[in-house]
Amino acid sequence: MSKILRIDAKNKTYAFEEVGADLAALGGRGLTSKMVLNEVPPTCHPLSKENKLVVAPGLLTGTVAANSGRISVGAKSPLTGGIKESNSGGLVSQKLAKIGIKAIVVEDKPDNGAFSVVVIKNESVEILPADEYMGLGNKEVINRLWDKYGKRVGVMSIGPAGEQRLTAACINFADPGGRPGRAAGRGGLGAVMGSKGIKAIVVDDTGAGKVAVADPEAFRAANKRWVEILRSHPVTSQGLPAYGTAILVNIINEAGGFPTKNFRSGRFEFAQDISGEHMSEVIEARGGKTKEGCHPGCVIQCSNVYHDKNGQVLTSGFEYETIWALGANTTIKDLDDVARLDALCDDIGLDTIETGVALGVAMEGGLLDWGDGKAAIDLLKQVATGDPVGKIIGNGSVFTGQALGVDRIPAVKRQGLPAYDPRAVKGQGVTYCTSAMGADHTAGYAVAPNILKVGGDVDPLSKAGNVDVSKNLQIATAAVDSTGLCLFVAFAVLDAENGVQTIVDLLNAQYGLSLTPDDVVSLGISILNDENTFNERAGFTKAQDRLPDFFKEPLPPHNVTWDFTEAELQQAKQYG
Amino acid sequence: MVTVLFNAFSFLQKRLKEQNRPYTDVPIQLADESTVADLVVAVGLQIADVEAVLINGSVQPFDRTLNDGDRVALIPPGTPGPYRVLLGMVGGEKGR
Repeated sequence: MSKILRIDAKNKTYAFEEVGADLAALGGRGLTSKMVLNEVPPTCHPLSKENKLVVAPGLLTGTVAANSGRISVGAKSPLTGGIKESNSGGLVSQKLAKIGIKAIVVEDKPDNGAFSVVVIKNESVEILPADEYMGLGNKEVINRLWDKYGKRVGVMSIGPAGEQRLTAACINFADPGGRPGRAAGRGGLGAVMGSKGIKAIVVDDTGAGKVAVADPEAFRAANKRWVEILRSHPVTSQGLPAYGTAILVNIINEAGGFPTKNFRSGRFEFAQDISGEHMSEVIEARGGKTKEGCHPGCVIQCSNVYHDKNGQVLTSGFEYETIWALGANTTIKDLDDVARLDALCDDIGLDTIETGVALGVAMEGGLLDWGDGKAAIDLLKQVATGDPVGKIIGNGSVFTGQALGVDRIPAVKRQGLPAYDPRAVKGQGVTYCTSAMGADHTAGYAVAPNILKVGGDVDPLSKAGNVDVSKNLQIATAAVDSTGLCLFVAFAVLDAENGVQTIVDLLNAQYGLSLTPDDVVSLGISILNDENTFNERAGFTKAQDRLPDFFKEPLPPHNVTWDFTEAELQQAKQYG
Repeated sequence: MVTVLFNAFSFLQKRLKEQNRPYTDVPIQLADESTVADLVVAVGLQIADVEAVLINGSVQPFDRTLNDGDRVALIPPGTPGPYRVLLGMVGGEKGR
């Protein structure tokens, strides 16, 4: 029933095609990575006509399975030069699934630089001129598209950063409140979309039927168990809805892994001032919102809306990674400044993590003072105007470091490190080095008791066991990324004995299969193999699986160093 | 007597606030040989409220004796899954 929609970005035409047998069992990241491997020449320039932008809902997306509405976007990354999958919430995924579109593939590029808006409805696809939207930020683009096509249509768009093809440019997604607060953030996919002259994709599923389910009874029963697992766990009932992902600020800071001042220390003196607890108090006092889902059917509801002093919406989707990158990493301690920076990133269409690391590097290079929130705000505004200084920051941490002659650039495969110092959270550090994605915090995120074959305790400060932890997390995550499930279901598969089995039951009931949890492992491994194969063909070697040398410095407060050998790290890529 | 530096996170902050107790960088005095469990009780919380304790930045068992100058942080249930594993809060002997 479902088809692939190919968009010819040069001729502004489209075609539907049947899904081949080799792709039928794939969805989400499994599908985007397979299609990028099959169709994108690994040595192409990522902004050239040879690259392809693949957008795919997950295997469970469009059903009533709780938390199944995430989307995967894949391409060759202009930031890393390797394969990239970037994941987001929003409204597009479920609508595509209901219309029966398994993937959108945007190919080629315009000759004349003219931009388009693609409008996908149940019975039609139009590729229209985007003149009236050019130069606009994502906030205004979404407002206008909702005015024109209806409230709550799915929208994915790029801001001025993507239009300029800057390598920290992301793709933003309208959240259920119509704000650009969700994003396929990492790896410069906004630049790929910009190189193909696509300003926005609108998806309206009015008139579409339900997604086909092979065994509705079994599906209903499995989903009931699934919802019960998600709802009864303290992460759902207490942690994430109340404080969002920012609940991690105090915890990671306490554990001594909260990278401060461009990765000089693992504790930030003012962590409580930018913590989830404090954020949540401010939200409450100013009439904002905690406990919001990023897509329909989410029962975890970790997103939020943060208001300014006057009670106006300032930003939404105010996440741990963002608060860290734009806060502790730069030593900016005013939460309102950090919120303003987040709002700017969402509007201009910049990856908040890459931008925060770039700002830290810029401070390192003397472009602005440490902790100067107002100067950081002014600098980001220059990305939108196309100012040369804006182009430096907008191209990310490594480009900024080179422009300023900085010798301390925290990046792997040219992607800036996220919010956990690798020396103090060593399992995470192994993932940074060995994931095909570059320094990525979500690549090794999900875990299940029967997948995680780690005996005994995990100590984040020492090497023991952390290569295995990282490897198994990466495998499980790749599989979860293919289902459309939000990664925060990780706690469900960690603590509930039948967590993975329930996901398997959902898949079997929907597609009429007989998968087992072992098949989940095999799927995860095959996706990682696809990604590593692409990178090898693109020219990557073990030399790119390294952290910069400065991580051999001891990190206070634990005074731990990065001490894995190359051979030890490469074990994380031996999937057995 | 030992003096420890006490912090509490997540909804424990709200709970302590309701009791008019401080929760950030609080010096607390305890008898010698006090354990984490004793501290929990001393600050007006219950063991059931606490999933993990960090002493000087590392996850430790609840029966660990506290030393003078220790920095102790209490974490309730609700930490996102992978970090409970990566920080060593789950599995092994460090759980309650």
